[in-house]
Amino acid sequence: MYTRITMQKNQRIIFYILLLIVGASWIVLSKNTAEATADGVSAPQAGFTAPDFTLKTPTGETFTLSELRGQAVLVNLWATWCPPCRAEMPAIEKVYQEYKDQGFIVLALNMTYQDDPFKVVPFIQEYNLTFPILLEETGDVASLYQLRSLPSSYFINRAGIIQEVVIGGPMSEALLRTRIEQILQ
Amino acid sequence: MILLVIATWIGLSLAEKRAERHGISKENLNNLIFYGLMAFVIGGRISFILQNLSAFAKSPLGAISINPDIFDPFGAVTVAVIVALIYGQRRGLLLWPTLDALTPFFAALSIGIGLSHLAAGTSFGKEADIAWGINLWNATRHPTQIYETLASLLIFCLLWFKKHDPRPGILFLSYAALKATSQLFIHAFRGDSRLMLDGIRQEQVVAWAALALIFILFEYQLKE
Repeated sequence: MYTRITMQKNQRIIFYILLLIVGASWIVLSKNTAEATADGVSAPQAGFTAPDFTLKTPTGETFTLSELRGQAVLVNLWATWCPPCRAEMPAIEKVYQEYKDQGFIVLALNMTYQDDPFKVVPFIQEYNLTFPILLEETGDVASLYQLRSLPSSYFINRAGIIQEVVIGGPMSEALLRTRIEQILQ
Repeated sequence: MILLVIATWIGLSLAEKRAERHGISKENLNNLIFYGLMAFVIGGRISFILQNLSAFAKSPLGAISINPDIFDPFGAVTVAVIVALIYGQRRGLLLWPTLDALTPFFAALSIGIGLSHLAAGTSFGKEADIAWGINLWNATRHPTQIYETLASLLIFCLLWFKKHDPRPGILFLSYAALKATSQLFIHAFRGDSRLMLDGIRQEQVVAWAALALIFILFEYQLKE
């Protein structure tokens, strides 16, 4: 009986060692460089480069996301008819004022293709918004960002990588601050 | 989120069915999971707030806002484990039989986590030119969420239909060893790995170290 148990134990230990050797070899064999991360690939998901777009404000000023590299960017997709979008705008304006001098910018993309374009400017005035409001008139950027729900917010770091995605809202000031401080680093 | 809730409910029901086999009453198991989940939710939020105190000091009401993003998963797990340990100690629950009783819950939850990753597109695979690849995030990728779900399902079936082992801890350690092995294998196909030392995936190293620790615990339990 003693011999049998000892043998079993020895067999188990050999099995453990073999499995650990196989595991370690697998780690080394499967080590990877480029494909193991999302580097350089553009997609609307944390870890990927933010999909690029060029859009205009109601006054005709043009903004291209990729030209803002070096700044921390919040891309916020919204519409005037969306209650949580309306609810989070004052908080976004407040944190924009607080952090803009540190290299933070908000690009608020109005989903004009599914909104009333005549309501956008009164909305900006009603909420005293000072950050750029861009008009998404075709639905192409919404499609690029695989828009599922409004509001949707993408926190993009200075290298142009999406660091955090917040689907739905309204976002609280505190949550905005924590995310902004992360992308400013 | 819905998938996780369903998995939690199924896992709890299955764990209840077999709890008494491990000498744990259904009531104790239910309470343990209930308090653990409460601690997970509350602990996750408190941990997040503590780590971002300056942001919350400026707008304290944010601490009770409905944003699910105000959550730290590591803090949540830590607090849940501490609360479960305190509850277990107060009720005189033994560690290993309790972990054995919880194993169906963990195994069912793992399946739910895999499915939730699939639904959300997170824990995605690396780009690959393979017939069974899925188109996700602008590329054809290894369907690592499906690998993860299938592996979890297989582990669940292996353990659920396994002959009952009366030695305490063996069921839980078997689950932990199989889970660590599957993670070690599947992470090779992930596209969101954290790299170290010239392309070595950190998650695989953690799984390997966990496996080594599990083997030591196995031997300790078998000796007991």
